[in-house]
Amino acid sequence: MQAVAPATPKSWYLPTKPHKFCPGCGHGIVLKALGDVIDELEIQDKTIFGCDIGCSLLSWDFFACDSTQTHHGRTTPVMVGIKRARPELITIGYMGDGGGYSIGSQHLLNAAVRNEKVTLILVNNTNYGMTGGQMAPTTLPGQKTETTPFGRDPELTGYPTKGPEFIAQVTPDNAYVARATVSKYNQLRRFIRNALRNQIEGNGFSFVEVLSTCPTNWRTNAQQTWHFLEDEMEHYFPVGELKNPFGKGGK
Amino acid sequence: MSKELKPITFPMEKAVFYIFPDYCKGCGLCKEKCPNGVLVWSEKLGVYGTPTVKPKDEDSCIACNICEMVCPDCAILIERIRQKKAL
Repeated sequence: MQAVAPATPKSWYLPTKPHKFCPGCGHGIVLKALGDVIDELEIQDKTIFGCDIGCSLLSWDFFACDSTQTHHGRTTPVMVGIKRARPELITIGYMGDGGGYSIGSQHLLNAAVRNEKVTLILVNNTNYGMTGGQMAPTTLPGQKTETTPFGRDPELTGYPTKGPEFIAQVTPDNAYVARATVSKYNQLRRFIRNALRNQIEGNGFSFVEVLSTCPTNWRTNAQQTWHFLEDEMEHYFPVGELKNPFGKGGK
Repeated sequence: MSKELKPITFPMEKAVFYIFPDYCKGCGLCKEKCPNGVLVWSEKLGVYGTPTVKPKDEDSCIACNICEMVCPDCAILIERIRQKKAL
């Protein structure tokens, strides 16, 4: 009788598992979907995975493919450089909302305007997780964090960044822009597959923002975690494809 | 090479539920996401010394696979049992 093995994607690097993310962290679900898609498209041997600083850097040894870890917010230009030097490789940039929307937003914006043929996955958990849960550009109005103990006041600190909306405004029509959530796993996997397919076919920029969970810094239990993600975050940040060169229902 | 992982097996009516305590961190996302409320805390401890989950009975699981999908650590494996067609 064959021993039962966990349903880990084939592209995961198993000696580093269980991974280092907190219990209940959404990064594991996003990376599981990404691993599933890498297996499905059979691109493990030509994939370059780049991760940012922040909680997302804990994925540096996650995949059994070539990985790099870059300076804060500089995953986008590093991935663009690798893609320009070796256009046959598939480059996947993986970052958090701090790396993508605050310190790295210049690179994200310029790469989107130039329509670079890279895939970027941005995980949005509405705070800076690794440094202890401070306010991030995506913190919802009224949400309590370490640096906004009375709730974020939009009069004082402005409104949250809606990343896919602003990327969709500056990219041409052959870019792929979507927002997914970890509570809908099949949809998340479909969006990541479309984003990678867009890069493989050489169409243009592919960007997927994923709404994720952070029970450690939200100070929530499992039930409150799902409530905050599904009822508050998905209400403020609408989930769906904003720009899809494959047309509606492209699967 | 990674070490061999030993699952705890719970055979049920429509599926076999495997939980790998070496991967389970006890976050409880699967327990809250289950549409039928099948999962409960078990006495077995996971990798962080937190309780793992187990199905409460044999007939309430509908084999929808949602717990396997939302597990960030791939600690759950659902194996559907092919139903015999009624004659």
